[in-house]
Order: sequence, then C-alpha cells, then structure tokens
Amino acid sequence: MYDIAIIGKGPAGISAAINAYARNKKVIIFGQDSKKILWAPSIPNYAGLPDITGTEFMERLNDHLNKTDAVVVNKNVLAVYSMGTHFSIQAETEMYEAKKVILATGVDFKKTIENEDKFLGSGVSYCATCDAPLYKGKTVAVIGYNHESIEEANFLATVCSKVYFVPQIKEDLSKLNEKVEVVNGKPLKFEGAFSAEKLVLDNTEIKADGFFVLKDSYPLTSLVPGLEVDGPHVKVDKNMETNIKGLYAAGDVAGKPYQIAKAVGEGQIAALNACENL
Amino acid sequence: MVMHVTDSNFQNEVLNSDVPVLVDFWATWCGPCKMLAPVIEEVAQRMEGEVKVVKLDVDENPVTASQYGIMSIPTLVLFKDGKPVGKLVGFRPADQIESAIRGALNL
Repeated sequence: MYDIAIIGKGPAGISAAINAYARNKKVIIFGQDSKKILWAPSIPNYAGLPDITGTEFMERLNDHLNKTDAVVVNKNVLAVYSMGTHFSIQAETEMYEAKKVILATGVDFKKTIENEDKFLGSGVSYCATCDAPLYKGKTVAVIGYNHESIEEANFLATVCSKVYFVPQIKEDLSKLNEKVEVVNGKPLKFEGAFSAEKLVLDNTEIKADGFFVLKDSYPLTSLVPGLEVDGPHVKVDKNMETNIKGLYAAGDVAGKPYQIAKAVGEGQIAALNACENL
Repeated sequence: MVMHVTDSNFQNEVLNSDVPVLVDFWATWCGPCKMLAPVIEEVAQRMEGEVKVVKLDVDENPVTASQYGIMSIPTLVLFKDGKPVGKLVGFRPADQIESAIRGALNL
C-alpha cells in the first residue's frame, strides 16, 4: 500500500511527488510527460527560469522527480475508487492501493461523443488491453485521440476479425496493421438499444460489436465515481481536498488560471495536506 | 466460498434459483477482477440468506457471457426470478455493491 498516489505527471503532479517524498512518504505517480508543457515553445513567466522552453522544463521536472524514490508508472489510470479507509486505483489492467490520492490530470475540454457515458461498459470501452479478449473474432472500432491508439488498434487487429480506426489526431498512420481500415470523419454519437451498436460520424456510420475510445484523459466523473465537479474542474477546498475525504486535486484540473507556477504551488499544498495524519 | 457456475449449470443455479443471484462475470487475465474477488466474498457473507453470489469465468463459459452482453469485465449482474434486474460494470467497494443490490431488490 502506497501512502500517496498521484494521477498525472505534469508540474502539479511532480511538485506533489517531490513534496510528499520530502515528508518521507511512499509515493507512486501515474502518467506520461505533460504534452501541454512539452509543446510550449517558451515559458516566459516562471519565476527564476526566464525563457526556458517547455521541453527543457519537462526535462528538469523529470530530473527532479528521479531524485526521489517515487515509483513512476507510465500507464493510464481508468478509475479511482474510494474504499473508505484507502483508495483502489485501476491503471489499465493493474490495480494499486494508496491511503490518499492527488488528482493532477490536467484539464480536458474535448467533448465526449454523445452517449459515450451511457454505453461505457456496454459496447464502449476506454481500455483495449482490458477488454480486447471479450471481442475475440468480432468487429471493433477504435476512435483514436492519441499516438498510443495506433498501437492499440494494431493489438486489437491480432484478436478481432475486423478493426476500424477513426483517427482524431494528425499522425503518420503507415504503422497501422494492414488489417485495420481507416475511416476518416468526426464522431458524433453512439446508437444502440441496450449496447452501442453503431457510431454515427458526420459523413458515414460504422457498425461494430465494440468501440474503443482511446485518449489521454477521461471524464472526471467516470474516473472517480461520486466526485463533485464544476464543468471541467474538480471542486476543492483551500487545502485542495475534494468532496471525497483523502482525495485531493491540484493544477489545471482544480481550476484557473492554467499556469505552471499555480500548478506547482497547488501540488505542494495538496501533498503537504495529504501527508498529515499519514 | 463463492460458487463457480458454468454454461451448463447456469440455468439451474442462477435462472431457477429461489433467491436472487448476483453473478460476477470475470476472467483470469483481468486485474480488477482479482481485486473484486475478496470484495465479492464479503458481499456474499454480508447478504447470506438474502442473495446468492456466484462467479462465472467468461473465457470458459462464452455462451452465457455473450447471452447477457458482457462487454467489459468485471461485470456484476443481479438475477431475480430468472431475469437480469441490475448491472454494475467495473470494480466497486462492497458498500456500493450491497446498496445497489438492496436498491434493485427493494430490500
């Protein structure tokens, strides 16, 4: 059992990890490098580091994180469940346990596809690794919002009889398995009686047994059942604690302004408060 | 111990049961299913006499899994009088499972 699990490896998450480590806590941190930071051509307003580039800043953050003994897990967290005395965290097919959790996922304004939440678990899945065996010999469609979705589509092609790939990213698709059929279009909604049977796009439709929506972050309410949110943000108190005891949020996911210094500060507040009574 | 059911005895053990039955659809390769196993044992103990709790391996018993449209595991389906009356997808703590069962059965 870890003392503190941190979901997200941007400035808020790494700041939380560094501070929790300083308090001698056993820390696990999930996620990939923050793309928002990596893509920043320059960061002009972070005190003490004038004109640092996003890539350099991310490198510094990782160097600092590597000086701690926090366990880094490069996996997508699909769900965080409050168990009363602790939390269970599902990262793809693995489960982890921690006494407290800090959400530092960043904020995602991408709208979900209509009926995506309604059919989640009934023909819509967020995890190819988890659910692929249930679609053995069947037809599936992958709606890919990230680079990893290309690999996941190739993996599904080894299990399923037919795989459609609906890219929502500008990526080189030449690495796609030849069994995967690319369908270009904007996904609008899922339709079906009891489970998702059809994806309606702006220019066509795809019928399949299962639909994999693969992206970097998932709706907060499906990530943490029972979490109080305000639009794309998690509601927090001045200690950065959410409505769920022992669950904190920091950085962009906790609200505006979307600034690195604010994220780093909130990561620290969340970590130091989480460390109390541990 | 929670009993394991199969395609061949599903009719007898679940559909023809006098008491409501909670079926845990799981597989050996599924991490969250392993976490759910002790939770399911706890629910079985708490609700002994009110609800029967069984497990079904979806790899070994594809007919039943497909019949009830199991598309993500773990999935818990509650059966009453031979019909599904409630479904929970994904790992849940025992309290949530128990309250969902009580809600579905008006207990």
